[in-house]
Amino acid sequence: MKKILIPVGIIAVVAIFIYSKAVGTYNQFVQLEEGINGQWAEVETQYQRRADLIPNLVNTVKGYADFEQETLTGVVEARSKATSIQIDPTNLTPEKLAEFQQAQDQLSGALSRLLVTVEKYPDLKANQNFLELQAQLEGTENRISVARRNFNESIKGYNSTLRTFPNNLFAGWYGFGIRSYFEAVAGAENAPKVQF
Amino acid sequence: MRYPSVIRPILVLAFFFLQVFGFAQDFPAAPNPPRLVNDFTGTLSATEVDQLEQKLLAYSDSTSTQVSIVLLGSVGPYDISDYAFQLGEQWGIGGKGKDNGILILAAIDDRKVFIATGRGMEGVVPDALAKRIVTNKILPNFKMQEYYQGLDQATDVIFKLASGEYKADEVMSEGNNIGAVLFLLLFIVLFVILPIIKNRKDNNNHMGGKGGGVDFWTSILLANALSGGGRSGGKFGDFSSGGGSFGGFGGGSFGGGGAGGSW
Repeated sequence: MKKILIPVGIIAVVAIFIYSKAVGTYNQFVQLEEGINGQWAEVETQYQRRADLIPNLVNTVKGYADFEQETLTGVVEARSKATSIQIDPTNLTPEKLAEFQQAQDQLSGALSRLLVTVEKYPDLKANQNFLELQAQLEGTENRISVARRNFNESIKGYNSTLRTFPNNLFAGWYGFGIRSYFEAVAGAENAPKVQF
Repeated sequence: MRYPSVIRPILVLAFFFLQVFGFAQDFPAAPNPPRLVNDFTGTLSATEVDQLEQKLLAYSDSTSTQVSIVLLGSVGPYDISDYAFQLGEQWGIGGKGKDNGILILAAIDDRKVFIATGRGMEGVVPDALAKRIVTNKILPNFKMQEYYQGLDQATDVIFKLASGEYKADEVMSEGNNIGAVLFLLLFIVLFVILPIIKNRKDNNNHMGGKGGGVDFWTSILLANALSGGGRSGGKFGDFSSGGGSFGGFGGGSFGGGGAGGSW
């Protein structure tokens, strides 16, 4: 009778170990995924912040009667297109990300065309209101890039956890898959040289 | 897996790129002993560095807001803004959770400067104001190579803006101390007193001599105490010639606030 107890005990211990490991891993994945969702929300918030600045910018620029209408309508259209695309964080497929990216890039392009055009209007360039809007816009672009970097960092943490043994086994069971990055920032592939 | 197999190699490649071109080596390590003013270029004289350090240190001691100045040669291919955020984040300028750090970064050879505000300072020093500090205080002075004056005036304005926003709060650190003391007590009871009691019982029962438990845990406890003592001793030794010394950055975070310019 006692001889049976020992293997049963060992099996029980192993089973408990595997169970707790499985639960721990699952919870870890969930936490990492929530981290990603939070970072994605931050990315969208910052893009939204940029979109919110645009009406003010357009109104300021509009005051200059002869300002090129084409450039202005370009910005307004790109803005409405960009704000119409929102992605649910649980549904961050590469295709959706690309779509989002494209819409936002169009807005960036339209905005930079606007800022280039402004160079032709010295009065507008010196306008205090415009200068502050420009500073805010630059700040928002900076926040966007920080939010994107943080998002990619959390994806990296999630993916590397997911792909390491033995987590990859559990991930298969639970149906957690690799998540895609929000496109590497252009220029990230040049090995940078910095002198202190 | 949720994604088709075509995408996987791309992901792996992206992952590889991110790893290989990790950013760590492009950023100087946080200064040791910690300092708020770090001139890697020798642009400022030793006295100017000391004066700024004392000024910023006094401010950090009274308000807990950490304003740090870093002068570099060049930020290479980075945007100066991006470099400032990552450097501030890596050094952890500002308190953890409060994120009340400000980094004034100047790349002398690039002729660029940037004031990066920690997440907690974005409200006090909004981007438009940071821009004004840069355009009105820093750039005119830097153009004439008056680097010290520029930094001195800029920090004056920042202090004015930020004063009253964050106080050095003793309440929180006191709470932390109590927690630490409780934890230590619990630790001692669990691992020192309980084993002693248990061992006594063992001895009464004639089950053999004293177990190794007590000695083991006491030695760990002693080792901890000793190493702690060693650390604080090290800090004490780092006292600089000026009034006090800076205790170190707190782990603040940067979300992309701030503004810059070039001269």
